[in-house]
Amino acid sequence: MAEKRAGRLAADQGTGPTAAMPRTRRAWLLLRQMLLRGAPLIALVLLSSYLSFSTPHFLTESNLVNVSRQTSVTAILAIGQTLVILSGGIDLSVGAVAALAASVSAVLMTQQVRLGAAVIGPLHFYLGLAIALALGCLAGMLNGVIITKGRIPDFIATMGTSTALRGVSLLVTGGLPVPSHLTATELKGYLPEPMLWLGAGEILGVPVAGLIALAIVLLGWFILRYTALGRSVYAVGGNREAARVSGVNVDRIKIAVYTLSGLMAAVAGLVLAGRLNSANALMADGEELRSIAAVVIGGTNLVGGEGGAAGSLIGALTMGILGNGLNLLNVSAFWQRVIQGLVIISVVLLDQWRRRRFSAAS
Amino acid sequence: MGERQPILRMEGIDKRFPGVHALDHVDFDLYAGEVHVLLGENGAGKSTLMKILSGSLPRDGGRIFICGQEIDELTPERATALGIGMVYQELSLAPNLSAAENIFLGHVPRNRLGLVDWRAMRARASESLASLGLDIDPDAPVRQLDVAAQQLTEIARVLSKGARILLLDEPTSALSEAERDRLFVLIRRLQAQGVGVIYISHRLAEVWMIGQRVTVMRDGKVVGTLATEQASEDGLIQMMVGRQLGQRFPKHPARLGQTALRVEDLSLGNRLHNLSFEVREGEILGIFGLMGAGQAELARAIFGLEPEASGRVFLYGQRVHIDGPTTAIRHGLGFLTRDRRQGLVPALPIPPNITLADVSQFPIAKLLDLRSEARAAARLVDDLRIHPPLLNRRVMFLSGGNQQKVVLARWLYSHSKVLIFDEPTRGIDVGAKTEVFDLMSRLTQQGAAIIMISSEMPEILAMADRILVMRDGRFTAEYGPGATQEDLLRSASQAERRS
Repeated sequence: MAEKRAGRLAADQGTGPTAAMPRTRRAWLLLRQMLLRGAPLIALVLLSSYLSFSTPHFLTESNLVNVSRQTSVTAILAIGQTLVILSGGIDLSVGAVAALAASVSAVLMTQQVRLGAAVIGPLHFYLGLAIALALGCLAGMLNGVIITKGRIPDFIATMGTSTALRGVSLLVTGGLPVPSHLTATELKGYLPEPMLWLGAGEILGVPVAGLIALAIVLLGWFILRYTALGRSVYAVGGNREAARVSGVNVDRIKIAVYTLSGLMAAVAGLVLAGRLNSANALMADGEELRSIAAVVIGGTNLVGGEGGAAGSLIGALTMGILGNGLNLLNVSAFWQRVIQGLVIISVVLLDQWRRRRFSAAS
Repeated sequence: MGERQPILRMEGIDKRFPGVHALDHVDFDLYAGEVHVLLGENGAGKSTLMKILSGSLPRDGGRIFICGQEIDELTPERATALGIGMVYQELSLAPNLSAAENIFLGHVPRNRLGLVDWRAMRARASESLASLGLDIDPDAPVRQLDVAAQQLTEIARVLSKGARILLLDEPTSALSEAERDRLFVLIRRLQAQGVGVIYISHRLAEVWMIGQRVTVMRDGKVVGTLATEQASEDGLIQMMVGRQLGQRFPKHPARLGQTALRVEDLSLGNRLHNLSFEVREGEILGIFGLMGAGQAELARAIFGLEPEASGRVFLYGQRVHIDGPTTAIRHGLGFLTRDRRQGLVPALPIPPNITLADVSQFPIAKLLDLRSEARAAARLVDDLRIHPPLLNRRVMFLSGGNQQKVVLARWLYSHSKVLIFDEPTRGIDVGAKTEVFDLMSRLTQQGAAIIMISSEMPEILAMADRILVMRDGRFTAEYGPGATQEDLLRSASQAERRS
């Protein structure tokens, strides 16, 4: 197996016949290849080991539970983002969609809302949940339709919807957190228990948020590997023209992918609101960039066509653990930003270098 | 003319690519005020020679003299400084910039502050356009100019850098006859100014219209150089083709069945004009034309890639409406694109590339059967001798011939009934070509109908049961078995010679 891989690698690079290569060189190439392929995971393991030794607080149950809660939102968003990026797009609206889904459902579950003549609410949790998820799908589909039918670049379209949806959330919540001190006291409107459980509950000591994130990662992995949609996503992102000539309905795939991203954003919004025991229009701010960073750190090609869900989980964990570790090490919040930014850049630099070295052959 | 010193002399130019001796000790010279036509089939080495002369490829051996001075190393910058100007087949203008800006792209006139001197630029652009006798508005964005004016602007750009040796690579391939006359007027004017022109063309008739001497290349060698008045059309074709056609084209006769595809009145803007034809089960219909005659558009239009196209398409007698590749594939059509890169997803391994045309027809939630996919792919890899036979190898790491076989495997896998092959052997080596032909024969024996678009005359003559010749978006002739290259070339370009 090792021999075969080294041989394939050598041929990939066009460095000539394998048999003619000295054994040491082959071994070196193989080692380098493994190091580069597994780079995101190795970096995560190294980071965790370092933190385990340098601070006694890192490897404690309460801290790990904490990390998994904090990471879960990024991880859920990152899976939707992975689908989008693999198809050659980018979704800058995931944070706004998360806030919208959380805000609207929180308002409906805690307050009475007048819609024309009808007075709705407070709604049952499951109804609120369904509305939140449907809203996420709808917002994602809107992105997809604007991008494909309006032929607007993904970046611009999702930036626009992001801004607009934040505005909608502000209108719905009146700019207040939900439940706010006003609504909570007057209407006794608290977020329903199951919603809090999503964000802060535990099953056998494992945070529910983490389990949801894990389920979403598995779902993303399954879609990408085992469904016609996943295959088409790789084809569209890898070579849009080839996908089209091979009969792939590119528009439909893009709309589907953005819809899924919106759905996952809604899930993330509910989890986050549950953890914070509150929803507001400006929550999950900056999460779109964190999710993109997680995807890229996880080794997915920002141009599309290469990468996967597992990498994005690793990327999200790396971001989460890095932030957590810097906190534990008492690094100032200002420096944390500097360091996180530098980490993202160096990871992408490394990745591009890897790609140049290993795809130059064609 | 022979008494004077040539402005360009190339001696024993040699160039090897892996597995190919692209240029085998080629000698070539050019005099001031001369148009020297360079002829040869695709892959004969013309482009390689021009790339070496323009400095974009290093030579392995040989000497280059310019005005008697030996030049050791040529880079694109050095070539420009020496007065060598290349006009490529694909235009390289910036469409949104004005003609003046394009002419001075990269060497804009500046004022004392180092800013662009717009007035000087416009004045000098008008001047250089006028000196070439061109009626082109220097302020017009290039995209508003017609193709010929763009071509002429491109030549003006090259000349503005002081070119004394002008390389024109198929300059008329996209021009109408009237437009070509404008180009020829310009070329004659340049000749009078002492510019030497190397003129590459596939249109034989142009040899006598514009050239003084003609050099024919074949398989990386110069077959001969003649004064045009001593050359005959038949003689030149024989020099170009040369070799004997043997078993390179494994053609197995297939039984012709019912009409698989019938196209009526296919039109597309001013590029395709009321084309009607049909192809039967088991038949290979060849479509031959010079570059830009409309073959590429024909293929794309049938496959639903040209939304503006109009006409009627019948499959097995049934009228069908094809509004895109998805419906085309659903109706059993397959399309081998001219550019392999347009057909493959390079980062995916072999099996997904083979099954893509099938998977694309699935509902998006349908699950894939990866195991049977791998089995089918393994069978096809084995059957088509795709090398190396590694299923997890990304197709970007396969050679051109093997990539082509992967695309062919796709249409085998999806059991397409009507296949459109646009230049199926473009850029692949002789061995792989034979395998592609063999596969085409097998497909027809299984009842597939094939439309084979090719500009390689030996191929199309050997493989096609029937050949339609295209020119300017129209069919000009139809040939059965026994046609010759001369026939094809005449039908593809004859009318021009008469005019």
